[in-house]
Amino acid sequence: MVLVLALGDMHIPHRAPDLPAKFKSMLVPGKIQHIICTGNLCFKEVHDYLKTLCPDLHISRGEYDEETRYPETKTLTIGQFKLGVCHGHQVIPWGDLDSLAMLQRQLDVDILVTGHTHQFTAYKHEGGVVINPGSATGAYSSITYDVNPSFVLMDIDGFRVVVYVYELIDGEVKVDKIDFKKTTTTNAH
Amino acid sequence: MPRDRTKSHDRQRKNFPDRLGSLVLGSGLEETFGSDIGKELDTFQPHGFGSDREGLGDWEDEGDRDVDGVVGDGGEGCLGNREVIGTSGSDRVSVLEVIAADEKRSDLEYELSQEEINLEKLQRIASKGLPDGDGSRARVWKLLLGYLPPSRNLWDKELAENRQKYAKLKEELLISPSESARRRIEGFRSFEQESDSGESDGPLQRREISQEDHPLSLGKASVWHQFFQNTEIMDQIDRDLQRTHPDMKFFSGETPTSRKHRAAMRNILLLFAKLNPAIRYVQGMNEVLAPLYYVFSTDINEQNAANAEADSFACFVRLLSDSVDHFCQQLDNSAVGILSTLSRLSELLRANDEELWRHLEFTTKVKPQFYAFRWITLLLTQEFDFKSILRIWDSFLGNPFGVQDMLLRVCCAMLLCVKSQLLSGDFIANLKLLQHYPEINIEHLLHVAMDLTPDTSSYRVWL
Repeated sequence: MVLVLALGDMHIPHRAPDLPAKFKSMLVPGKIQHIICTGNLCFKEVHDYLKTLCPDLHISRGEYDEETRYPETKTLTIGQFKLGVCHGHQVIPWGDLDSLAMLQRQLDVDILVTGHTHQFTAYKHEGGVVINPGSATGAYSSITYDVNPSFVLMDIDGFRVVVYVYELIDGEVKVDKIDFKKTTTTNAH
Repeated sequence: MPRDRTKSHDRQRKNFPDRLGSLVLGSGLEETFGSDIGKELDTFQPHGFGSDREGLGDWEDEGDRDVDGVVGDGGEGCLGNREVIGTSGSDRVSVLEVIAADEKRSDLEYELSQEEINLEKLQRIASKGLPDGDGSRARVWKLLLGYLPPSRNLWDKELAENRQKYAKLKEELLISPSESARRRIEGFRSFEQESDSGESDGPLQRREISQEDHPLSLGKASVWHQFFQNTEIMDQIDRDLQRTHPDMKFFSGETPTSRKHRAAMRNILLLFAKLNPAIRYVQGMNEVLAPLYYVFSTDINEQNAANAEADSFACFVRLLSDSVDHFCQQLDNSAVGILSTLSRLSELLRANDEELWRHLEFTTKVKPQFYAFRWITLLLTQEFDFKSILRIWDSFLGNPFGVQDMLLRVCCAMLLCVKSQLLSGDFIANLKLLQHYPEINIEHLLHVAMDLTPDTSSYRVWL
C-alpha cells in the first residue's frame, strides 16, 4: 500500500500565494511515501515544503520554474507500475491525448502524469493511463481563468491503483475515487 | 544442629542458600556435606541426587551454549551435535533420574488421555516439570490456561471456534484500508456486473466518496486515520520484536521462517493493543509472548503448529489477564499496581527470612523496585535462559493458586538462593548481582519456592 501524491502547477508566488488552507491541513507528513510534481512550483520554498511532506520527491521542469535543473521528464517504478512525469508544455497540442500517448510510449510507462492545462483529467488511452492532477492552487492557466484547485493521491497496491481526486469546489473539498487494474497483458508498443 | 527443635526447619532452610551459593560459584558439593546435613537431605530427595547435581548443572550449561534455538531434546529440528551433548549429559544422570522422568511422562500421558481431565492432577504434574520435545507442553499449557476445556471431546469444537474468532478479529482490526477499499469495490463491481478488463479507452469513471473514505482524512471514524495512528504502535512492536531472543534462530535473523514468526507475533501484539486501548502496547509484552508462541508453534501436531498464532493470542490474553495492571502506569500506586506487588514480595521475604530482608531493605537499601520490576512484569523471561524459562513457567501454570502467587514465591526464592552473596555485598554489588542473576539449578530454585512460608499478613486469602 504505497501512497503517491501527484500535484503541480502551483505557480507560487507569481499567480497564487499558497496552497488552499483546506488542502494544507490535510497534507501532513508521515502518510505519503512519494511525491510526483508536474512542475511550475515555481520557487524554492515550495520545493522545501514538499520535502517536509515526504523526502522522496520527483519533479519535472515547468516553463516558469526558477530552478533550472529539474529534468524535462522523469520515470519511476512503484509497485507493479511504471510512472512517468512531464510538465506537458512540451507536448503540442497541449493536453492532446494522442500526443501524450506518444510521450507515454516514448517513456515506456503505465501511468503518465502531466500538467500544464490546470484541469484535472484522467484518461485511459491506448493501453496507458494519463492523469493530470490540475493545479493545486487554482492558479490561472494559459488557456483559462476558471480553475478549481485540485490534486491527486494514488494508492498503489500490487496491480491495482486507487486514485483519489481532491478538488476544492466552492470552498469545500470534494473527494472522488477512481480505480483501475493493470492487466497482465502488457501495453501495445 | 539438633533436629528436634522447632526452629530446625527454619535453620535447615537457611542452610540451603549457602550450599547453593557454593554451587553457583562452581565448587563441588561434597566438601560442604556434613553428617547431619546429609541426613536432612533425605527428606527432600534421595542421596543419589547429590552427586548428580553436578551433572544436572552441566546439563543446564550445555543447554545454554546451544545457540541454534533448538530447546527441546529430541523432536523435530534436532541437530547432530545437539544430540551428542544430550547423550553425554544423560550419561551422568543417575538411573533414578531417568526413572523419575519416565514416570512423570507416563503419568502425564495417562492424564492427558482421559476423557475428562483432572486439572488439579495436571497442575501437580506440571509443577514438577513437563517433558520437552513432544507436544505435551503445548497441550498442558493450553489446558492450564483454560483455553482448552477439560472435556476431551469438546476440544475440536473449541479450537475451531476460537481460531475462527481470531481470524475474524484479524480481518476486522488488522486489515489495511486499501485492502478493505478494494474489497468494497469488488463487491460493488460484481453487483453492477461490470467487467474491468474490457473497458474501452476514454475518461476513467469517477465515483464520489464520503469524507471519511480517503487516505488524507483526518476524521476520527476514518479507517485511514486509525490506520496511520496504529503505524506508530506497529513500529514500536517491530523494534521490540527484532530484539526478542536474538540468540535464537526461531525469532531472530532474516530467514523466511523467523520473519513469519515475527509477523505472527506482531499481529498478536497489535491486536492486543487495539483491544486494550487503556494499556496499548508496552515494551516487554513481546517477551511474555515469546515462550507461549514458541511452545505452540513447535507443537508436534501439524495443525496445532499451523494455528499457533490464534492459540497464542488467546492464551496470551489469559496469561496477562491478572498481571495486565502491572503494565499500566496510572495504576502504579494503586492496590493492584506494580508497587503493591513489589511490596508483597518484600513482605514475603520478610516472613521467610527476616535477616535478609532487613539487610536488603535497610542496610543496603536495595528496594525491590530496583531489581524485581522486570522479574515481575516480564514473568522472569529476562533472567534465565530459554529452556529454564519454559521449566519455570511449567511451575507457574501448575500452581493451584495462580501464576502471580508462584511468581512471587520464585522471586523470593531467587533472593534466598543467593543470600550469602547478598549478605556480604553492599548496594552496588547486590544490585549488580540481582540485575544479572547468576545461573542456578532451576529445580532447586523451584523447590525452595514451593517450600516458602506464605505471607500471612497479606490480604490474599490463603485456603
